[in-house]
Amino acid sequence: MNGNAVLDINDLKVSFKVRRAGRKYQVRAVDGVSLSLAEGEVLGIVGESGCGKTTVGRSIVGLVRPDSGSISFKGRDVTGAGLRDMRLNIRMVFQDPYASLNPRRAIGDSVAEAGDINGFFTSRAGRSAAIAAALTAVGLDPSFAARYPYELSGGQRQRAGIARTILPSPSIVIADEPVSALDVSVQAQVLNLMMDLREQLGLSMLFISHDLGVIGRISNRVAVMYMGRIVEQAATRTVLDDPRHPYTRSLVAAIPKPDPSRRILGAIETGEPPSLFKRPSGCAYAPRCPLASDRCLVDVPELRSVDDRALACHNV
Amino acid sequence: MLSVRDLTVSLGPATAPVDIVAGVSFELAKGEILGLVGESGCGKSMTSLAVMGLLPQPGPQIRAGRVLLEGSDVTQLQPWQRVEAGHGRMAMIFQEPMTSLNPVRRIGDQIAEAVRVHDRVSDAPATARARELLELVRMPDPAMQLSAYPHQLSGGQRQRIMIAIALACRPQVLIADEPTTALDVTIQVQVLGLLRELCNRLDMAMLFITHDMGVIAQLADRVSVMYAGRIVETADVAALFGRPRHHYTRGLMDCMPSRNFGARRLPTIAGQPPAPGTVGAGCVFASRCPAVREPCRTADPPRAEVSRGHEVLCAFPLDDGGPR
Ligand SMILES: Nc1ncnc2c1ncn2[C@@H]1O[C@H](COP(=O)(O)OP(=O)(O)O)[C@@H](O)[C@H]1O
Ligand SMILES: Nc1ncnc2c1ncn2[C@@H]1O[C@H](COP(=O)(O)OP(=O)(O)O)[C@@H](O)[C@H]1O
Ligand code: SF4
Ligand code: SF4
Ligand SMILES: [Mg+2]
Ligand SMILES: [Mg+2]
Repeated sequence: MNGNAVLDINDLKVSFKVRRAGRKYQVRAVDGVSLSLAEGEVLGIVGESGCGKTTVGRSIVGLVRPDSGSISFKGRDVTGAGLRDMRLNIRMVFQDPYASLNPRRAIGDSVAEAGDINGFFTSRAGRSAAIAAALTAVGLDPSFAARYPYELSGGQRQRAGIARTILPSPSIVIADEPVSALDVSVQAQVLNLMMDLREQLGLSMLFISHDLGVIGRISNRVAVMYMGRIVEQAATRTVLDDPRHPYTRSLVAAIPKPDPSRRILGAIETGEPPSLFKRPSGCAYAPRCPLASDRCLVDVPELRSVDDRALACHNV
Repeated sequence: MLSVRDLTVSLGPATAPVDIVAGVSFELAKGEILGLVGESGCGKSMTSLAVMGLLPQPGPQIRAGRVLLEGSDVTQLQPWQRVEAGHGRMAMIFQEPMTSLNPVRRIGDQIAEAVRVHDRVSDAPATARARELLELVRMPDPAMQLSAYPHQLSGGQRQRIMIAIALACRPQVLIADEPTTALDVTIQVQVLGLLRELCNRLDMAMLFITHDMGVIAQLADRVSVMYAGRIVETADVAALFGRPRHHYTRGLMDCMPSRNFGARRLPTIAGQPPAPGTVGAGCVFASRCPAVREPCRTADPPRAEVSRGHEVLCAFPLDDGGPR
């Protein structure tokens, strides 16, 4: 447990029962993740699709029940809690604003939903004022309250989704790929908005994305996930400028750099993506790893602290 | 090889057409990779479907312009007629391979069928060629994969299968519409590398569509930037990134999150692109352009060649007169 942490996750494990080719499997989507989020901090979580990022986020807000591990908010254990004040204190922003905005409800009603359910508002006027304030905070005119999702552009919908998230004044926002569906010009607008809100509202944020470019922009620290585990964690600049874990190195190298004089095609090896149905017995990254040694095939590397970072690798 | 001239694709009745592609022209030389970049809705897919003769029906129509493949106009021909008439061959791949693959048929059969349609050969040589194609697209363990079903493959492998099927007709031109957009960067880099290698090896030209300037920088020889149905800038990739001349191109580059990490705020392009049918007189970018001047709002900007092979659709190009 960390001194000034608002959120502490300890050895979180989550698995799902899935059916494949007529057989039932238990797949482990999150395999022992520990994280702590400091007050006012933005912690990025990055990794390829399927590595368990969303499942970590959904576990924190209670949408998924973990097998084991604990989650505490300001020192209080809230694991799997449907606690009412938790739902207002830790709020999620989703990639697809359609998922959080009911297409048949006016934007204002969607924005106010958490407040309505939790008896947050004491008067109609107070409710309207709260909606208007939330919309204004995300750069939308209060008149948007009366509009419907189909009338909004992608960027406007994501702003409305953010307004819905911040209305109950949460302490923590879990943002799951919030700009991944947006065009770059709109993406930049929404990223700037999120940075402003973090500052103005004193939010702490877990920012999930598969895009290291986006993560690099907004996060103070980054945790890199592979097959349900954190393999490297450090300050953002450290991860981007000096990645050490072979997987992080590959992720950073594969970013398409907007510079035709630094071409990488054909020059880097990244291997085949893993399958949760065939989890290797040692290091999960071994089948793709250029540094894999015999030990990697049998021993799972633990996350340990090395110099300026945490790292889970036998050979670096 | 491929020459597209003043292509205009419109919706609605001929008396009141709404142009979603408005006078697009580009040339594609043998073996060349032309990147077509722009934000969603700007008309990239409609351009490529019109070139391929695959516009959804009923719906958008080619209202004007020509598509010349090795000098012959193919606008009025169906894709199969193009092959029969010896008009050269084009093939296309898309963002989501699962929509084009049959989920209940083995990969090998699906590739072999494409081979049979094109080569008019029997089963055995078709299967042999299918295997060759899998090797060509660097599929791991090609002999085994012939009997796999699409759902058993990863997203990157499915895209390799789509490329193999496209190559079955030995295309001279491959049109790739955001084929790596749904893939992780680690897999994207492999598929892009494969496409580049195939263009070199088979002397195949490629029109590569993306919204990602990073992908363009990595892959393209030449680039056309599209905005609101128009190509606003075309240049060699080095010239475009070294010295962009259109204000939209510059804006797109500046707002990429992976550029200049140090700065606190990202530069943005204010507002959003106009919806089709809402563009009035003057420059289509005027409502968002940081350098807009009075004439931009009333007169259509000229298309000018600012340097050899570098064209820009702007009355007041960036950085005019003098290097940066
Ligand atoms: N509700 C679920 N039922 C079964 N499998 C799931 C469920 N949610 C996620 N998974 C699986 O768990 C793994 C991790 O998924 P997810 O957390 O969504 O990854 P990410 O967000 O990093 O892409 C994936 O293999 C996914 O298929
Ligand atoms: N089948 C269709 N019928 C009518 N309009 C369409 C159709 N498909 C796309 N459009 C419109 O045409 C414009 C260009 O779309 P598209 O070529 O798909 O853009 P891009 O590929 O650049 O994202 C958009 O405004 C889109 O809404
Ligand atoms: S533990 Fe071994 S296989 Fe895993 S990342 Fe390190 S070197 Fe590679
Ligand atoms: S013509 Fe005018 S409004 Fe259009 S891009 Fe050029 S300077 Fe900007
Ligand atoms: Mg996810
Ligand atoms: Mg498209």
